[in-house]
Amino acid sequence: MHCDWAVNLPENPKVSDMKNIMIKMIPYEKFKKDGIKSFLNDLQKDTIILIDAKLNPEEEALIIKETMEEVSSRFKGIELGSLDLSSGDKTTPFEKIRNSIIETIIGKKRGFTIIGPAKIVRKIKRDPEDLLLYM
Amino acid sequence: MVPQTEFGDLMVLRRIGRKLRSLVSRIFRKRKNIKIGLYGPVNSGKTTLANKICMDWLGEELGKVSVIPHETREVKMKESVTIKDNGKSLTFNLVDTPGIATKIDFEDFIKYGLKKRTAKQRAKEATKGVIEAIKWLDDMDLVLVVLDSTKDPLTQVNITILGNLDARKIPLLIVANKVDLKRSKASRVRSAFPNYKTIGISAKTGFNIDELYKELFNAL
Repeated sequence: MHCDWAVNLPENPKVSDMKNIMIKMIPYEKFKKDGIKSFLNDLQKDTIILIDAKLNPEEEALIIKETMEEVSSRFKGIELGSLDLSSGDKTTPFEKIRNSIIETIIGKKRGFTIIGPAKIVRKIKRDPEDLLLYM
Repeated sequence: MVPQTEFGDLMVLRRIGRKLRSLVSRIFRKRKNIKIGLYGPVNSGKTTLANKICMDWLGEELGKVSVIPHETREVKMKESVTIKDNGKSLTFNLVDTPGIATKIDFEDFIKYGLKKRTAKQRAKEATKGVIEAIKWLDDMDLVLVVLDSTKDPLTQVNITILGNLDARKIPLLIVANKVDLKRSKASRVRSAFPNYKTIGISAKTGFNIDELYKELFNAL
């Protein structure tokens, strides 16, 4: 069988060099009910957390405050990033009103929030319409 | 059986409590004990600015500055700073806060030559400093968000600080610091946060500091 394309492929990375990266999706409703308790243990076990909503600034500050209380020589804190999908420079006033109504009905802000243990996620960069995770 | 309070309910109660406290304190304070807070990420020059303001109007410094991150690890306040402009005067308490960070690694301090034990202690104090700075937010009447104009302003820490001030309806000014450096791009700070007044200054050299003093009168 002829397969020229395979010749230029890079060497397969060694399995031992690869990290098992866990990503846990948490519904916003669970976060709203249990707060940081819903994922603090996971963060400390090097799991990346993805919440299906843009958290409000007060919730973000609370996460920073409560994770700071847990910082030790093993757990160095977090990298946090969130994207708001309901408003932006290109959003028209009509879209803003529509989004606001939708968000009132569903009870959360459209977007997502990613929280990574600082040990795994070096940096989360805002692009500004995308989030880039550097690991 | 007592129903379990959910985290979401707690957030709402906390918000209502904060608004009531803020309203009461604003009524009774009658602008006599105005607090101006310096907030921002680590090493953006908050203490350098605090020192500049204190030196200009009191003739003494407020805190120590250092290239090692998290030099300021507790909230420091200088009372009764009076600034004057065109016959008007404004007296306030100046509050310098530790830099807000989401991660603190003691090994970063070792790179600056600190011993392991000292570095660990510094990291521990720094985490407490971040928590303390967040707690003090509610007490502020005006916040100067000090950003390093040589760095990318669109970080989550900056966005979270600004969002929290907005949510608490605390007036703010963005100070794009370190404009004396070649890499500085105050325009990048302005375009990142177009809804806020941004003043480019150098706390170190004093460049444009008079403009900042003028804006304090307008902001309060």
